[in-house]
Amino acid sequence: MPELELNFEVNGRTVAKRINPGLRLLDVLRDDLNMTGTKEGCGAGECGTCSVFVDGKLVKSCLMPAAKAEGTRIETVEGLARPGDLTVIQRAFYKTGASQCGYCIPGMVMAATSALRDNPDAGHEEIKERMGGNICRCTGYTKIIEAVELARDVIAGRMSPAALEADAVGESYIGNSVRRIDAPAKVAGRLKYAGDMIMPDMLHMAVLRSPHPHAEIVSMDTSAARAMPGVECVITSEDVPGVDGFGVFVHDQPIMARGKVRYVGEAVAAVAATDERSARRALAGIKVTYRELPGLFDAADALAPGAPVLHDYAPDNIVKHIPLRKGNIEAGFAAADLILEENFSTQQVEHAYLEPEAGIAYVDHDDVVTVISPSQNITHHRHMLAAIIDRPIQKVRFIMSPVGGGFGGKEDMIYQGMLALAAMQTHKPVRIVFTREESIVSTAKRHPSRSKVRMGLTRAGRITAMEFDMLSDGGAYGMSSEGVMRKAAILSCGPYEIDNLKVDTTVVYTNNTPSGAFRSFGGMQVQFATESMVDMAAEKLGLDPFEIRRRNMMKPGSLTHTQQKLGTASLGMVLDAAEKGSRWEAGAPTVRGATRGDTHGAGTREPCKLGERFAAGPETKERVA
Amino acid sequence: MERTVRGRGVAASWYGIARTATIDRAGAWAELDDGGTAKVVTGVTEIGEGILTLLAQVAAEELGIRPEQVTLGDNDTARSPEAAHAGATRQTYMVGNSIALACREAREKLFAEIAEYWDVEATLLHAFDGILHAEGTNKSMTMAEAVAICKGRGVVPVGSGSFTAHGTGLDPVDGSGAPWQVYVFGTQVAEVEVDTVTGEVQVLGIWAAHDVGRAINPRGIEGQIEGAIVQGLGQALMEDYQTVEGHTTTHGFAKYILPTALDVPEITSFLVEDRDPLSPLGAKGIGEPALVPTAPAIMNAIYDAIGVRITSLPATPEKILQGLKEKRRRNEGIAAE
Repeated sequence: MPELELNFEVNGRTVAKRINPGLRLLDVLRDDLNMTGTKEGCGAGECGTCSVFVDGKLVKSCLMPAAKAEGTRIETVEGLARPGDLTVIQRAFYKTGASQCGYCIPGMVMAATSALRDNPDAGHEEIKERMGGNICRCTGYTKIIEAVELARDVIAGRMSPAALEADAVGESYIGNSVRRIDAPAKVAGRLKYAGDMIMPDMLHMAVLRSPHPHAEIVSMDTSAARAMPGVECVITSEDVPGVDGFGVFVHDQPIMARGKVRYVGEAVAAVAATDERSARRALAGIKVTYRELPGLFDAADALAPGAPVLHDYAPDNIVKHIPLRKGNIEAGFAAADLILEENFSTQQVEHAYLEPEAGIAYVDHDDVVTVISPSQNITHHRHMLAAIIDRPIQKVRFIMSPVGGGFGGKEDMIYQGMLALAAMQTHKPVRIVFTREESIVSTAKRHPSRSKVRMGLTRAGRITAMEFDMLSDGGAYGMSSEGVMRKAAILSCGPYEIDNLKVDTTVVYTNNTPSGAFRSFGGMQVQFATESMVDMAAEKLGLDPFEIRRRNMMKPGSLTHTQQKLGTASLGMVLDAAEKGSRWEAGAPTVRGATRGDTHGAGTREPCKLGERFAAGPETKERVA
Repeated sequence: MERTVRGRGVAASWYGIARTATIDRAGAWAELDDGGTAKVVTGVTEIGEGILTLLAQVAAEELGIRPEQVTLGDNDTARSPEAAHAGATRQTYMVGNSIALACREAREKLFAEIAEYWDVEATLLHAFDGILHAEGTNKSMTMAEAVAICKGRGVVPVGSGSFTAHGTGLDPVDGSGAPWQVYVFGTQVAEVEVDTVTGEVQVLGIWAAHDVGRAINPRGIEGQIEGAIVQGLGQALMEDYQTVEGHTTTHGFAKYILPTALDVPEITSFLVEDRDPLSPLGAKGIGEPALVPTAPAIMNAIYDAIGVRITSLPATPEKILQGLKEKRRRNEGIAAE
């Protein structure tokens, strides 16, 4: 490997290091200098988690070749304050609760520092724009912007530094906005996520993934890969000692493809090698012969007679169907003065947590197979892995590392099994860190849905009957699909007491990227449809949207769609709070936006007119006009 | 019609707390430790929602010390009791209550020893913010002293707690059952501005009212609501994971568009506290439910602005323009009759 001597300054210290000339500045900081406060979120300059200062200028270090850092002065999040101390900006983040999972936060702190160094009087809009190159998936940015404005005012002396201190506590810590105890480590870049952890003799894992949506694996030859330099093991489904299968409800997914691949990106084999490069290079040495099979790419096609079958146990391709029946649906519609019918659909959505999947596995001195990963469900993962590797349950240990965003996307055990197998084969620690592309193609998404909804109402706006039929694409494996359908069915018809209903939610297998758990677990897909329809009914009946909801809302003692009697129900309280708080002007939703009197008031921001900044030239104005 | 038009929409929502249609459980251990500090161990790690801070608050409140004096153990299947998974809006409810129960048991052990030491009824003892006193007396000491005295009497003040939520399965034929013991409700109002030339929708304001049972950390709850709303906004307007014959065409953040700081509306949160009568803390949860009403509130607001009903998410500029075109065609048709 050719080497390059790199001389530069990092956080005030002179560094001389022999490096591989192909590395990025980010790699040198993280891997050669072990400065893991600078994170990798996408590797493509899109997310900003890797932001550092190079000669005082904010740079995305994933886009900068390390060789270009020769002779430069680098500042990273670790160098902003002395060890153990925090800058005013970091303390402002701590105070406002600007860090949640924390993974984007070092980059955010760098962007904020850059914004205020360049313009200590930056206004709200300028700050937002300066932070616009950094993605956060947790906070909704609001408390981050608040933090930057607070820091600006403290630095300028307009606010006392006391504004950064904890709120006074009265008679109880319950109800007190105690500052987050994990924030100092996050704003300083000190918290170690799984991908930041290193262990002596640690190996690096790379995964060979399916290029086909549906294919039979005719043969696989790993011998060339095994012989490559640095490679310590190559694993396939043949190496699984126990009962191979995981999933949140049905254990239909092998830890690596077994005889068949069912989606593009599915793990087929994995390599553990002494360095990441050797591991990735060895993937090319694995020869797989596939026989392509007809694929299913649409949920409706999966139900058609003669459709290809993905899993033998489910010849109809149905993962789960959940029915709800209450009252008499025909009588309910017969009693209606108005019947509405509409189709709704929602798309597949990526979790986009900033921390890509990562983990380390090792076998400890007591022969306990241990996996450290940002798993949202170590309890269940331990159960499943014990069966997969055929070990007693106390010989399997899961440790949950800080999760850099989950939203349900880290509930599936999609890589921990491979790590455990490689650690068992080599008796060395093995680490995997997904690239962003790997994370996107191989992990579960929010279920896309198609719903057919019928609603019957009286003239007075009471819902007399509702029929809700939803079909979802679960993708190649079951994952959380069953639970998502159950929750979707239970919540489908909204927070309203409806005497007569018929609900069916169905999820099918296809050869698309699997769908799984995602914040609201089916709840948003169905309530998007129902809440849209309630407004459509309000327009037809000339009722205010709050009023029609009050006429139907669940109250204490109401029977839910699953015929559960509610002890308490607070919908009236939240309707009142939202109506009053938003200064809602009553009226039927008859496209009255242009004439209503409650818009443009407090609680709204200015519209963003990015184009205006560039609209100086006459040709731009013409285009806009 | 003006080029830009505003509109407002509302959507309500409901949600269940903790695991669905099954019994849910969580366990915790607590110890009042030297110096009036505490060790609390349970199967939980931060996923960003603020649970560690909330648990430290709960433990501090129950033990009469300060949140920064609480050390939380790591989530480790070999070293901590089961608290099951980090999801289902169950952390505050399940783990929070199990920690409250564990801390109460530890506190009672300490109080029994100090009550004997002071020769007062244990029911008179009250601890807060590191100070223990006996009501109606002038007896008072620090929690550091109290722990030393308790240990000096041969007792380590430890406790454990297990909290259960009683959900039941659904009937396979009619779906009847009691999937959760506690429900939350929410309502959001959205104000949007639609550009009728470009089809772009900007969400300028969201007013979000959510029942959280009891607000343990109000700022943390606001953070959850704000984050959920922006995820909901992303799904409403721009995010779209796409595949062609099973191959993704949105394999990075250049193709998969996410909301940035420039897309964020002003968000005003209203925390409604309808306490849960079935649990020690009375708190419920907020993580998932805050996302549910955002997209329909935005769609209802778009309709209010331009009379276009978007039934297929996301409401991209193309769909808005197409909707406006169809609406014009419909209106012309009506005019021609």
